[in-house]
Amino acid sequence: MTVSLMKTPAETAYADAFDPQGALADVRKSAFAQFAETGLPHRRMEDWKWTDLRQLISKALPPASGTSASAEAIDDLIAASPFGDVARARLVFVDGSYDPGRSSLPATGDVEFASLGSDDLPAWVSDKLVAGSTDPIAALNLAYMSDGAALRFKAGSGMDAPIELLFVTTAEQAATYTTRNVVVLDEGASATLIETHVGGTGEYLHNAVTQLHVGDNARLDRVKVQEEGLEAIHLSNLEVHLAQSACLKDFTLTIGGRATRQQGFITFDGEHSESYVSGAFLLTGKQHNDTRLVIDHAVPNCTSRELFKCVMDQAARGVFQGKAIVRRDAQKTDGNQSSHALLLSVDAEFDAKPELEIYADDVICGHGATSGDLDEDQMFYLRARGITETEAKSMLIGAFAAEAFDDVESGAIREVLGGLAEGWLARRKAG
Amino acid sequence: MLEIKNLHVSLEEEDKQIIKGLDLTINAGEVNAIMGPNGSGKSTLSYVLAGRPGYEVTDGSITYKGQDLLEMEIDERAAAGVFLAFQYPIEIPGVATMQFLKVALNAQRKARGEDEMTTPDFMRLVRGKAEQLNVTTDMLKRPVNVGFSGGEKKRAEILQMAVLEPALCVLDETDSGLDIDALRVVAEGVNALRSPERAMLVITHYQRLLDYIVPDRVHVMSDGRIVKSGGKELALELEKDGYAAFAA
Repeated sequence: MTVSLMKTPAETAYADAFDPQGALADVRKSAFAQFAETGLPHRRMEDWKWTDLRQLISKALPPASGTSASAEAIDDLIAASPFGDVARARLVFVDGSYDPGRSSLPATGDVEFASLGSDDLPAWVSDKLVAGSTDPIAALNLAYMSDGAALRFKAGSGMDAPIELLFVTTAEQAATYTTRNVVVLDEGASATLIETHVGGTGEYLHNAVTQLHVGDNARLDRVKVQEEGLEAIHLSNLEVHLAQSACLKDFTLTIGGRATRQQGFITFDGEHSESYVSGAFLLTGKQHNDTRLVIDHAVPNCTSRELFKCVMDQAARGVFQGKAIVRRDAQKTDGNQSSHALLLSVDAEFDAKPELEIYADDVICGHGATSGDLDEDQMFYLRARGITETEAKSMLIGAFAAEAFDDVESGAIREVLGGLAEGWLARRKAG
Repeated sequence: MLEIKNLHVSLEEEDKQIIKGLDLTINAGEVNAIMGPNGSGKSTLSYVLAGRPGYEVTDGSITYKGQDLLEMEIDERAAAGVFLAFQYPIEIPGVATMQFLKVALNAQRKARGEDEMTTPDFMRLVRGKAEQLNVTTDMLKRPVNVGFSGGEKKRAEILQMAVLEPALCVLDETDSGLDIDALRVVAEGVNALRSPERAMLVITHYQRLLDYIVPDRVHVMSDGRIVKSGGKELALELEKDGYAAFAA
């Protein structure tokens, strides 16, 4: 039986505004057709049962790009990025459009950059923009994406100085902003990438996709910080392809947003590759964060790790859905995922849904999930040394979250992340 | 310095009485030892002194430096100079030992209205004391007690005590899990802290520790009370005759 649902005002707005032009028009059309098959995901779809976008996006947020915000408002938001002193190059996108005047390109020939909003994209970019994603939000993104960064790191290059992709949404309009990044690491390249999302206080939706194509023997360290405005809806998709002996270390810190759905789809295309995906959420008020990861071990001899630390205060709601698929040929797979929640209030809620789909027989796979309050013995120990109750709580919450970014390679980035967690704890204390 | 009168303590959750009318006076400059069989209430006494939740004082009083200790919060007691060296030190993943010590010291100083200690002064203080106790720089960088051996945990407790310089040191089974070399290091650390202004309460099951930390007074605890007190020779008697004579 097919149930057909009435279109929501948001879906109607997406359909009405759709008028693709330019070289990508055909790709956009097939992507939109894919989105239209399901429309906005809702609770009757198993993967979306905790995050019903039909309800969440209750009114039309028409697609938009370009800004009417004042230069001052934009600069204030840019200053809100904590990575100003850490990033060696920065590509700034304001309300869904590249802002060359506020950007600084990497000062090296080892990396090529193209703005996805430009009319003639190089083939290494357009080749990667193909419809066919099974995820409706990623399809909607391809249909509507207005801009974003395409970066290609040349074979054998070592760009360890971090490049920041900074997405600023001023929230001047109640609209949907759609951005996408395409990052390609050629054979043996290594790079460090920071993705920062900051936003103003109004209502808006940011649909963000990042595609990572990590080549043979290449290595990417990526850190994402999501500090969207507190009325914002943040929908993100990370699509990763790892070639042979490739390595991805990915960490996401989520502090902002009214509602966040972040998904990661990691596919091992080549053997002996490694993927480490970790994250921390620091949520309060009525914030909602639903993180879903799908790790596809399509080939043998790969390693995957996922570690998520979720702190929820007041009436915040967290969800972690981690799925590992180990295909029939993917022998010697080593996969492990864990999620840990710290509930600081009786009204906070956390749901974990680990899934293993294993078709190979010689594998090591595991998952674990815990959820609880602060440890009473640890609290007593700290206080017995003279540390006040409030301070002891902050120390333990900070330490709990920090475990998720202990493995971030760059000490400077780790310090920034620690500072963000401290800032959150200080705001919590100030109440 | 410490005066315990007619103390009665129950477990909050089980409604079970553990301490049943304990009297004990400890003067500054003294080392007092409490010995007793398992289950006599020794550790409970140490927890009640430090303010651990889960224990209910149903009768009696504890006066520390003229103040009602039972009215003070856990951290207020610490700032006022009460220190408990834990039998089983707690692991705190994610908090480096050095950072923990600094936050603790400065929290106590702040509570007493003193200036916070600067980082260089603090580092000097800790390095000097750590060396005496065989606590390596690596241990100071590691998270509190995480991955420490039994001996390392006990040495780290004594280091905390040396840095925080409390007035009343309560050592709960500090000898448990230590081999003879580790015991000697720990005892030397404790002895270095003996002073006319400081009192110590050493809780132990075995006489062995008291060969190294020689007490001024020894008390035998049984079934929640002090049943006999004497000089250091009492410990040797106990070692010879056992606790059977004091069984409830």
